[in-house]
Amino acid sequence: MRQSSPIDASLRPWAERIEALARSAGLDFFDVVFEMVEPSQVNALAAYGGFPVRYPSWRFGMEYERMEKGRQWGLSKIYELVINTDPTYAYLVRSNSMMEQKLVMAHVFGHADFFKHNAWFKPTDRGMLDRMAHHGSRIRRFVDAYGQDTVDQFLDQAISLDNLIDPFLPARELARSADGLRPQGEVPRERSFSSLESHRGGGFNLPSYDVLGHLAENAPLEPWQREVLRIVRAEAYYFVPQRMTKIMNEGWASFWHSRMLTHGLLDTGEIVDFADCHSGATAAVPGQLNPYKLGIELFRYAEEKGMDLFKLRQVHNDTSFIDALVDEEFAERCSLFVYDRNPKSGALEVAERGWVEVKRRLLQGLSWGGTPRIELMDDDYEGRGELLLKHQFEGRELDLSEAGEVLKNLARLWRRPVHLLTTEREESRLVTSDGAEVSAASAGEIESSEAA
Amino acid sequence: MFRIERDRARFREIVRGRLRRDLRSFLSSSELLGRRGEETVSIPVTQIETPRFKYGDNSEGGVGQGPGEAGEPLEADESQGDAAGGAGEQEGHHILEVDVDLAELADMLGEELELPNIEPRGDRMLTSNGGSYSGIRRVGPKSLRHFRRTYRQALKRTIASGEWDPRRPSVIPTAEDERIRCVKEQPKPESSAVVFHIMDVSGSMGREQKEIVRIKAFWIDTWLRKQYDNLEVVYVVHDAVAKIVDQETFFHLRESGGTKISSAYDTCLSEILERYRPEEWNIYPFHYSDGDNWSARDTERCIAVLRDEILPRVNQFCYGQVKSAYGSGQFKKDLDAALPDEEGLVTWAVEDRDGIPDAIRAFLGKGR
Repeated sequence: MRQSSPIDASLRPWAERIEALARSAGLDFFDVVFEMVEPSQVNALAAYGGFPVRYPSWRFGMEYERMEKGRQWGLSKIYELVINTDPTYAYLVRSNSMMEQKLVMAHVFGHADFFKHNAWFKPTDRGMLDRMAHHGSRIRRFVDAYGQDTVDQFLDQAISLDNLIDPFLPARELARSADGLRPQGEVPRERSFSSLESHRGGGFNLPSYDVLGHLAENAPLEPWQREVLRIVRAEAYYFVPQRMTKIMNEGWASFWHSRMLTHGLLDTGEIVDFADCHSGATAAVPGQLNPYKLGIELFRYAEEKGMDLFKLRQVHNDTSFIDALVDEEFAERCSLFVYDRNPKSGALEVAERGWVEVKRRLLQGLSWGGTPRIELMDDDYEGRGELLLKHQFEGRELDLSEAGEVLKNLARLWRRPVHLLTTEREESRLVTSDGAEVSAASAGEIESSEAA
Repeated sequence: MFRIERDRARFREIVRGRLRRDLRSFLSSSELLGRRGEETVSIPVTQIETPRFKYGDNSEGGVGQGPGEAGEPLEADESQGDAAGGAGEQEGHHILEVDVDLAELADMLGEELELPNIEPRGDRMLTSNGGSYSGIRRVGPKSLRHFRRTYRQALKRTIASGEWDPRRPSVIPTAEDERIRCVKEQPKPESSAVVFHIMDVSGSMGREQKEIVRIKAFWIDTWLRKQYDNLEVVYVVHDAVAKIVDQETFFHLRESGGTKISSAYDTCLSEILERYRPEEWNIYPFHYSDGDNWSARDTERCIAVLRDEILPRVNQFCYGQVKSAYGSGQFKKDLDAALPDEEGLVTWAVEDRDGIPDAIRAFLGKGR
């Protein structure tokens, strides 16, 4: 099954040198294991989110198809893939040049340090490779027992709900176990998340953002469906810190690869290629926000201000990091601007450059991992056993047609109608689905009844 | 990687399933038209994405980086889907396309509309120009020498002539030992067909009417291409005069003026007589019009040409009348009245796009 191979002999001395350099710079990481793969294999790995052992799904096949098209048309290229495990596996693509391999290895040590030390990654399961393999074999068994189509259909429903989780839950659980607030008799475990997954039955306080958790425990499901839901939820929680720290993580890794490579790791002949490759990765595309670029600028700015970079990378996620660092000087230096669609011309236009608005919009775009905040308010709405969800409106509307489809899936799992309270054109709306149809109504009465 | 190939195959299977399920809607939409390659059609698969709660239209703006004063439009506007909300946290609007074989698409069409396969007229054995290098002869270019056969021949000769010495085994081919590969021609049954798409482009044929013609032509070509190894398509447009045009022109031309259908039938006939002789070709003329003709006399002439010259030479002649705001629809009535018993003539009137599947079935359902 494994088609990757150990690192080439020509690269090994470099890997050791870069590792030593990274350690002397103060980076600290689990053991890093480099593997060599072909370009199409790295796409396959990326399609599986870095885990070739994952459960079978057409969705990964679709992702692979997309990436392979991108590669064949020369639109996109993956240089490296590193996964958050202990030891930390990093895949290097065989077609990289020597200079690129050095850059990528230095970059990988940055990520590896970040995985080990950033607070949001603390609760993640470092043995995820084994757990994913376990999930894979469970789902394969379900496929054998119930048929591919049945399992796929249920997985499709479950995955459409996989962002209905509370990104802050694992960290809270971890903090609670560290404070010794866990019930007596239970040994506090370092990986609180594994206990979170094995958590059975009830105990859910509403309202909660962990909608998926509530469903996994309380929805009327077959045992295998319940397990599929738990698997989807566990994997969603595993990946959520990556979404919450994308800018920091990429910024940190880029900051260190650039520092290390310009301190003696390059031949004179490689300098120009490095500059080209590095500036390509951290280029500011007009009108877009490149996480590599913004991240590295933030860390450089912090260094200039004399802040403790290692502390910053430990305690922050993207939102809090930007909140702590972005000010007038930074916004101006990085030429940040706010853009909006001009309602008249229909084109996207630069709206303004005021740093306060820039910062507000940056934070708004990143909060809650960039997804809408949907809270489960009630699981016995009006005494009918129906679900009531609420979209915490912060100025950005939901895509309602898509939301309707999600509600259908939700209603099918819950086997009762579900309702979503949201805001559309400054009016409160109640969107309802019974699993087959979706309807929307003005929700004035509900708000008033809540007030009463 | 073995597993990903399985997931990819599963994904493609699902895409085909969707295509099969939604074929009806594709039949009356122009979505696939621009997507045909030589062998495949690329199917856009936006509808297969998993629905999730996400932000909608009023949240398109975001934060960007770069030059530009307030009010300046962003460059690379179309890529903004990805950048919305900053940092590319949201999934962008990727459009993925999956290639489906034309033959497979034709199969789906056949299944959906219950089309019978076509029995080509007569058994013609045509020698294809290709063939393979499977023959052997004694002369020819050295670059095509069959090494093993040459040395085997040389070995046989050496042994037979008693020159073979096991202690000093050497074999030296002479000129007679040379064995050279050559092309072996194989007669192969080949069925060829020609489709004439004849369209009225007079002033009364509007944009929508042409679009309907275009969609029909696409599906008819797809089906016939599957039935015949070799399909040629001739595009003819006519108003008061007819001319042969290329595909691009056929679909985009907008003429105005009168309509003389006989001019088109004459052109079609002369093509058949000169280039596509019925002994070698299966012939399918399709004529699309809104049913207005210049004069009753010209219609009479059309009927005569059709009955006496064209119909005896073709597999089937199809007349598709597209309803337009200005057309009278008289031509179909005239054809039906004049040639009620012609087996090889199919006439069909289409009101709008929804009528396309029925029209295709009417044209191709006879299996001729």
